[in-house]
Amino acid sequence: MDGTIGILSQVAFWGLYSGCIYILLATGLNLIFGVMKIVNFAHGEFLMLGTYITFFLFVISGFNPYILLIGSIPILIIVGVIVERLCFRPILGTGKLNEIFISLGLIYIFQNLVALIWTDEWRSMRSPYADILINLGPIQLPLDYLIIITVTAMILVSLYIFLQKTTLGRAIRAASQNRKGAMLMGVNVEKVDMLTFGIGAGLAGAAGTLWAVSGQVFNPYMGSIPAIKGFAIIILGGLGSIPGAIIGGLAIGMVENFTAFTLGGSWKDAVSFILLIVVLVIRPTGLFGEAEE
Amino acid sequence: MKLLDPRDPRHLLTVGFLVLAFLIPLVIGSSLYYLTILILMLIFIIYASAWNFLTFSGQGSLGHAAFFGIGGYAASLVALKVGLPPLVTLLFGGCFAALIGVLIGLTCVRLREWFLAMVTFGFAVIIQTLIVSQLAPVTGGWDGFPVPKLVPTTIPGYLMIEYYLVLLIAIAVILTFRYLLQSRIGLALAAIRENEVEARAAGINPVPFKLFAFGVSAFVTGIAGSLEIFHFGYITPEIFGIDLSFWPIIYSITGGLGTLSGPIVGTIIVTLLWDGLNALGLTYARFIIIGVLLVLIIIFLPRGLVSLPDEIRKRLKGKRS
Repeated sequence: MDGTIGILSQVAFWGLYSGCIYILLATGLNLIFGVMKIVNFAHGEFLMLGTYITFFLFVISGFNPYILLIGSIPILIIVGVIVERLCFRPILGTGKLNEIFISLGLIYIFQNLVALIWTDEWRSMRSPYADILINLGPIQLPLDYLIIITVTAMILVSLYIFLQKTTLGRAIRAASQNRKGAMLMGVNVEKVDMLTFGIGAGLAGAAGTLWAVSGQVFNPYMGSIPAIKGFAIIILGGLGSIPGAIIGGLAIGMVENFTAFTLGGSWKDAVSFILLIVVLVIRPTGLFGEAEE
Repeated sequence: MKLLDPRDPRHLLTVGFLVLAFLIPLVIGSSLYYLTILILMLIFIIYASAWNFLTFSGQGSLGHAAFFGIGGYAASLVALKVGLPPLVTLLFGGCFAALIGVLIGLTCVRLREWFLAMVTFGFAVIIQTLIVSQLAPVTGGWDGFPVPKLVPTTIPGYLMIEYYLVLLIAIAVILTFRYLLQSRIGLALAAIRENEVEARAAGINPVPFKLFAFGVSAFVTGIAGSLEIFHFGYITPEIFGIDLSFWPIIYSITGGLGTLSGPIVGTIIVTLLWDGLNALGLTYARFIIIGVLLVLIIIFLPRGLVSLPDEIRKRLKGKRS
C-alpha cells in the first residue's frame, strides 16, 4: 500500500515538472493571443531554439546551465521581436487562417536553420546536479526537478509583477483588454505587439533551457508536439487567461504522466489531444472561454 | 458554363496543359526517375486539391495526413487480406477515410479556425498512436508491412501504365470538384465561407454542407494516400507525419487558396523547386527556401501564384495612368 502511494506521488511529481514547461509555453501563447489575437503555431520552435542556445552556451562556456537562462531569454526576446516585425505585423487582420499558414513557413525556416547549424541528430546535455536525489518520505526527487519547479515559479512571479506594476506591463494589459481603447489612451499598440511577442518567445526560450537542463533529448524537430500541447492548454484554460494557462499546464502534465503510467508511453502525446477534443465537443469555445462573438 | 470555350485563354491553357501531361511520358518515358517524380506530383495534386476543397467551405485542416494514412492503411489491408486488386481497394481506402472524415467533421463543424486547426492536428497524432500501439498486431506497428503495387512490376512498362492511371484519376477528381463547385452545393459552400450567419438567414443549414465538404475532402485524400502506398509498395506509420499534413497546405497556398488551379500550379512549381534544390545538394536549405517562399507569398501575394498575371497587369496599368 505504501508502495503504490509512493509511485503515485512520484508520477504526480513528474507531472508537476513536465507541467512547468507547458505552463511557460502556454503563458507566452496566451500573452500574445491576448494582445494580438493571433495564434503562433511556430511557438514550439522558440522552445527548440532555446534548448539549442542553452546547449551551445553550455558547451562553449561551461557555466552552470541554470545561469544560462540569462542568455537564452534575451536572445529569444530579440528573435521574437524580429519575427513579429517581419512576419506577423504585415498580415495582422488579414484573415485568421493566414497566421496559421505563416507559422508553417516559420516552422520550416527555424527547424532547418538549426539543423543546418547543429545537424539533426538527437542531443542531450547533463546537468551538474543530475545524480542528486532528495528523499522525501516514500518518494525520491531529483534535485533538478525541484530547481526547475522553483525557477518556473520565479519566472511567473516576475512576469506577474512586471504586468501589474510597470508602465509597460500596464500597456500590455490595456491593449489586451481593449485594443482600440488603449490606442486612444496613447498606448503605442504596435510597440506593445512587438514587446509581447518578444516576451512570449522569451518564456518559450526559458522553457527550452529547462527542457535541456532536465536531461531530456532534443533535435530540431522537437518543438511541434510541446507547442501543440501548449495550445491544448490555452483552450482548456481559456484563450487569454494566464491563471487558466497555469492550471491547464499542470492538468496536462499530470494527465499525461498518469496515462503514460497506466496505458503505456506511446499514449503520452495522444492523450492531451483526446482531452482537448472531449472538451471542445462539450464546449466549443473552451472550458473557460467566452461565448462566440 | 460550357466545359470548353475556345475563346477563353484559360481553357486553351488547360487543354495545352493536358496535352502536355499526356505526351510527357512518351518523351521521358525511359527514365524511371522522372516518371516517379511525375507520378508523385500527380498524387500530390490530388491530395492538395482535396485539402483545398475543404477551404471552399471556410474550414481548414492541419491534420490531413490522418486521412491520407487511413486511406493507405485501409486500402492496403483490404488488398492484402481479401486479395482484391489495388485499383479496386483504392475505393475502400477513400470510403474509410471519408467515414472517419465525417466523424472528425462532426466534432469540428462548430469550432473556430484555431480550434479546428488544433483538433485536426490532434486527430493525426491520435490515429498514429492507435496504429502503433493498440492496432499494432494488424498494422505491424512502427515497422509497417509490404503492400502490392498498383501495377505489378512484372508487366513491361508498368510505371508508364501507372502514370496514365494516376493521371486519369487526377483528371476525374478535378472535374468532380469543378462540377461540385459550380452546382448549388458550391454556392452554398461559398455562402457559408463568406458569412455563416447570413447563410443561415438565407435558409442554408451549414452543418450538412460542412460535413459534406469534410467527407469529400477526406475521401479524395484517402484515395491519394492509397495511391502513394501502392506506388511505393510499403506502408509505415510515418505516413501520418506532420510533414505530410503540411505539404498540401504549402502547395495550395503557393498556388492560390480557393481556386481549382491553385493546388495544381502550386504542387508542380514547389515539387520542381524541391527536386531542383535537392539536385543542387541543398538538403536542409531547401526547407528554409520553401519556408521563406511561403512567408513571402502570404504577405505579398495572398491569392497565390495563379494571381500573379492579374497582379502584374494591375501594376502595369497603375503605372501607365
